[in-house]
Amino acid sequence: MIRLSVLAAGVLVLSAAGCSSVGSQEEAASGVAVRWQKAVDAGDGEAACAVLAPGTLKTVAEDQPCPQAILDKDLPRPGTVVETSVYGQWAQVKLDDDTVFLGAFPGGWRVVAAGCTPQGSRPYDCTVEGD
Amino acid sequence: MRRFLRNNAIGLVFGGLFLVVLVGQAFAGLAVFNEAQRASGLPDVSFWRYVTSASFGVDVAENWQSEYLQFFLFILLTVWLLQKGSPESKSLDKPGRETDEEQKIGRFSDERSPKWARTGGWRTRIFSNSLGLVMGLIFLGSWLAQSVAGVAAFNEEQLSERQDPLSWGQYVLAPDFWNRTLQNWQSELLAVASMAILAIYLRQRGSSQSKPVGSPHEATGVEG
Repeated sequence: MIRLSVLAAGVLVLSAAGCSSVGSQEEAASGVAVRWQKAVDAGDGEAACAVLAPGTLKTVAEDQPCPQAILDKDLPRPGTVVETSVYGQWAQVKLDDDTVFLGAFPGGWRVVAAGCTPQGSRPYDCTVEGD
Repeated sequence: MRRFLRNNAIGLVFGGLFLVVLVGQAFAGLAVFNEAQRASGLPDVSFWRYVTSASFGVDVAENWQSEYLQFFLFILLTVWLLQKGSPESKSLDKPGRETDEEQKIGRFSDERSPKWARTGGWRTRIFSNSLGLVMGLIFLGSWLAQSVAGVAAFNEEQLSERQDPLSWGQYVLAPDFWNRTLQNWQSELLAVASMAILAIYLRQRGSSQSKPVGSPHEATGVEG
């Protein structure tokens, strides 16, 4: 029984360790989403493409270089963050007129999909996303 | 040392196998997790990152809760339920909690009885139910852990599929939670029913879980 208690305590410690950094991860994810929106709004295609996930970048840059292609997209204006959810390797940042999905990469959060609008029980419809 | 190993072999061997298999599960789970990561265009995660993830947590906890539920139910229900011919059942004339004399508690205890069996009062009441209580508590704790890790793992998948996450309250009513729960419960209940019934007619010579090979099929409450 002692062995089980130690095991249960270990699980709790691991769970706590997993949860302890969620707050800072939410801040980091929402910070990237806001930066992304501001870069697009300011016409800074280089900065906007710099925070895209590789798969998304590849799709956006299929027909023309990313910095131009990204500015041609009909993306919402910057807004304030309404809600941020972080689960494991994924984050969702809801802003006034946009929802951005981000993935965890070694250098930090990157935008996987943006310009997303809800479709009820179906997946969000996104203006920018990978294949 | 040899004597210690011999006298504790069941706990040591099963505890050791548990750890080996848990590590095996972690490596297999990591491979599955990283396949999903690559399919979503995300980088692989490390072994440590995976074993502290909700995905690993829910896969472990959903199996733990069902095992402890199985033992909890088996311990508790076999106080009253009998199975003629099964070594998993008490003899047919002893359904229920039995007398203090049969259970060697209070004034019927002997000098080797545990202290809480001798003292009477609330200590003896708790000790008399401690096995079921602890199994039940571990079951509830594991099931709660399954729900907490499960909602996080489920939401990670939701986000990877561009869908909204659920709250814990929504998740415990969602099909994913009950699918994980019930698929484990059904297998545990089948295992108990199979063991109770098969052991009536089949034997494993020398096993504590079997009747002696020559015992009649109708002999109840006899273990090798």
